[in-house]
Amino acid sequence: MIELKIDNQTIETQEGETVLEAALRHGIDIPHFCFHPCLSIAGNCRICLVQVNGRPKLMPACNLPITPGMEIETNSEPVRAARRAVMQFITLNHPVDCGICDKAGECRLQEYQVKYGNEPFNIDPKHHKPKFYDLSGRILYDGERCILCSRCVRFTREISGTFQLGIVERGSHSLVERLDDSTYDDPYSDNITVICPVGALLRRDFLYKSRVWYLEPVRSVCVSCARGCSINVWKRGHHWQLRGPGSEAKNRMIYRITPCDNPDINGPWICNKGFDLGAFMSRPRVLRPTIGGSAASIDEVIEATTRLLSQAKSPAALVSSHASNEELAAFKTALGDKLTVYTRQDLKPEACDIVEDAILIRADKNPNSEGVTALFGHKPYTAAGHDLIIVWGEGVKLASLGAATIIHLASFESPQEKTADIVIPISTFFERTGSFTNFEGKRNCFDKVFEKPELVQHAGELFGRL
Amino acid sequence: MSCIEDKFAQLRATYPKELNSSLVMPFLRIMLDEKKHLGESDAVFIATYLDLPPMQVKEALTWYTMFYRQPVGKHVIKICRNIACSLMGAERLIDHISAKLGIKPGETTPDGRFTLLLVECLASCGTAPAMQIDDDYHEQLTEGTIDQILKGLS
Amino acid sequence: MSEKIFFNFPVTADSHTLAAYKKRGGYQALETALKTMQPIDVEKEVMASGLRGRGGAGFPTGSKWSFVNKKAPVVYLCCNADEGEPGTFKDRWIFEHSSHQLIEGMILASYALNVRNAFIYIRGEFDLPYRRLMEAMSEVYQAGYLGENILGSGFSCDIRVMQGGGAYVCGEESSLYTSIEGFKGYPRNKPPFPAVQGLYKAPTVVNNVETLANVPWIIANGAKAFSAMGTEKHPGTKLFGVSGHVAKPGLHELPLGYPLKKLIYEDCGGILNGKQLKAVIPGGSSTPILLPKDVETANLDAECLATFRTMLGSGGVIVISEGICMVRLLQVLSRFYAHESCGQCTPCREGSAWMNDIISRIVAGKGSKGDLESLERITKGIMGNTVCALGDAASMPVINFITKFRTEFDYYIEHGRSMNDGRLEI
Repeated sequence: MIELKIDNQTIETQEGETVLEAALRHGIDIPHFCFHPCLSIAGNCRICLVQVNGRPKLMPACNLPITPGMEIETNSEPVRAARRAVMQFITLNHPVDCGICDKAGECRLQEYQVKYGNEPFNIDPKHHKPKFYDLSGRILYDGERCILCSRCVRFTREISGTFQLGIVERGSHSLVERLDDSTYDDPYSDNITVICPVGALLRRDFLYKSRVWYLEPVRSVCVSCARGCSINVWKRGHHWQLRGPGSEAKNRMIYRITPCDNPDINGPWICNKGFDLGAFMSRPRVLRPTIGGSAASIDEVIEATTRLLSQAKSPAALVSSHASNEELAAFKTALGDKLTVYTRQDLKPEACDIVEDAILIRADKNPNSEGVTALFGHKPYTAAGHDLIIVWGEGVKLASLGAATIIHLASFESPQEKTADIVIPISTFFERTGSFTNFEGKRNCFDKVFEKPELVQHAGELFGRL
Repeated sequence: MSCIEDKFAQLRATYPKELNSSLVMPFLRIMLDEKKHLGESDAVFIATYLDLPPMQVKEALTWYTMFYRQPVGKHVIKICRNIACSLMGAERLIDHISAKLGIKPGETTPDGRFTLLLVECLASCGTAPAMQIDDDYHEQLTEGTIDQILKGLS
Repeated sequence: MSEKIFFNFPVTADSHTLAAYKKRGGYQALETALKTMQPIDVEKEVMASGLRGRGGAGFPTGSKWSFVNKKAPVVYLCCNADEGEPGTFKDRWIFEHSSHQLIEGMILASYALNVRNAFIYIRGEFDLPYRRLMEAMSEVYQAGYLGENILGSGFSCDIRVMQGGGAYVCGEESSLYTSIEGFKGYPRNKPPFPAVQGLYKAPTVVNNVETLANVPWIIANGAKAFSAMGTEKHPGTKLFGVSGHVAKPGLHELPLGYPLKKLIYEDCGGILNGKQLKAVIPGGSSTPILLPKDVETANLDAECLATFRTMLGSGGVIVISEGICMVRLLQVLSRFYAHESCGQCTPCREGSAWMNDIISRIVAGKGSKGDLESLERITKGIMGNTVCALGDAASMPVINFITKFRTEFDYYIEHGRSMNDGRLEI
């Protein structure tokens, strides 16, 4: 283990580390744009230049192997002068779009310009490049804001493997482009909007929706497949809740979903379905309890359900693989012995889906099949003459369940040919805390994003009352 | 396309598999010589032939200056505007050709015979001023020799 | 009077053929080496000769070869024939008249380095040099000097010729082998160094044409004979290409350390039209410019020119006479570097274009106070901070022209026009 001296502080280093990696690991903030821990070294932005053992020529810390006796200065005058110069070169033709740029507030360029930039202004007019270039229907590219760090290009080569992006043309005319006759339909495409250090890559989904400082992230888990990637769900922050007419909708809006770095499960990436989770979770909800199709109070519904359960000769339940570990445990305690429990995978891959790949996507499109298996084993439903079936969750055609009385615990509306006898609205995982267990047996926790709507029930609390 | 494919096959046969990617530049040259100017579909064609990512060849196509992406005239006149040629009167000769052909650098004559381009050092500094028409170098130029050379081209 | 390594035969209609080359002793060195020397002996001889790279950087060739692990599964040799440094026109002469000398040098180098597949990367614009090279390659394969089991030695080697696509930066070694790999020519950060991981991640040596073409003579005549010429630290001869305002521009083969003044005034017949000298660029446009007083005592070798704070570079001597507008001349260069910047790293991509914008604005009569200070600041921001030396090459003319011809620049900015009528030619 080689010791490294940075700014007179000695730190321990790991085998094969670069100076930048060692510094960042110890919380020493050497600025960087093009470096990303999961991508190859590009060394093109030049903002990470540091001074080595007092020598005059500065070296990029991102590509600097650690050698014995190495002494690094990150704040000497030559280093600060180089940073000022690099910042001026980067901002030379960078449009002052901050007022209309979605990245403002989480933009590395803004941060570094304030910290490290201090050159006199340039009087010459800025060069123009194409703005609003559609990489795909989902992502916009702004050539003027782009600093050509190549993170997005390297992502498509090294992580998603689609090679769909490249930097074309030469010199100051360089641009990021896709192939003309195709679209950037990489199933992991939206990750580039997260790793882009400036506002050059923007999701159309989030375009102009909000300033990021009005939002706060809530740590959650994606439910699109059994990987259960960690995500951040962005909603309006506590202090920025709106009041007045129409504010309820905005306060309950999912503004965007971004990856949450989880080295154990998904690293810093999620697939596009994760990015689109907001739309999935914003589908029309089941909001009121019903008996025989007519509105009823929750007490009436609970009373009716309890009665039917006690009277049934052969009750069954189809548990949900979207249920949390906590809900499943509550179900088992309350009702596990009282009826036949069938397990299932609620959702199946759709025609347009990638079924499974070597990166993140799993064929099982449900977040908690493991949690279900752990408590109930593997017991697919077979028509066995049950007279009462509790259907928990979505993906079941009620009409296929025969003549049984159906009690449907549902979060989302679904077109059904047969109406359930009793419908109880239940909360989504956004509306409580809990955990899922992914296909590798790893437990991943999610926090509450919103309060549940008034008449909706938490399934976990409901079972105890039946 | 089949003439191009024949040339591709011929050259590829002389390359070991581990040098497959090195065929990009020669293939672009072969296609350029046949088609006079190239587009993205040509880059995709080469990439498919070599089983390489199309974007790799597109990047190369757009980055090297010799791969024209706009139609060019029957003859491409490339006149050097770099230091030694400038010191020997390149500016004057560029004006002369420009006036004679009636086009500005970067343009093609209406009859499609000539495209005039300004290029950087052709390594003819000792015999400046110099230009290249298609493949041929013409050096120690004067207005007179330029006129003669142009007259000799169909 | 030193010996000639290149200009040692009269150029005739067929002096470039294999037959003619063999008549003047060609491929003797190769036969000797393959029959009586071990690869390490070839490297030792080159090392002992003190041969330094002739492309521009002047790095000791033997040392460069010694960095390579010859026992690696694959080793590559690339000949840098992408001659593009303005003012340089020597490598084309070698291809046009003595391709075999280069080829023999490459085979010797490949033998020393254990190279099975070598490349010649020749600039795409070259026509006659390329055709002569390809004729020579054909002759060489027919004669059995390349291919399997050369001259029964057990050593096999192939050379492939790759044409460039029109990019000055591909003369930089890592840009060159990135281009050979089939990509746009972005230079690479070092480490890893080419000797460890270069072409296709294998140990690679990139040598200039002239450098490799010296090797047969060194093997045939010995390291001592080579180092007896030139200076102690910079031995041998060099092809100097003189262009610009001299009576007799052209190539001259001279021992290193030759006085610059003698080259200009004797060998090249002095300044055109009897004019006075204004400035000389000694080694290609990227080298800092010299003033007449420097020319009085400057010798053409790396060490001496370093004392004048310039470099030997490629040996492309560009002579500028009195009456020339240095502001407009600088714009010719700034336009060139902006055009050739590959675009990979921030300082060069933005800085070279910016410098060209400012200088062009001054030339158009729209210069402002503070422009020269801006230019100086920009060069400081670029130099030493880039992935490759193109950034430095773009900056050095700017800072040197402004420093040494400040009056002209100040005048142009103040009056909106040139002090010398914008003259570039005389």
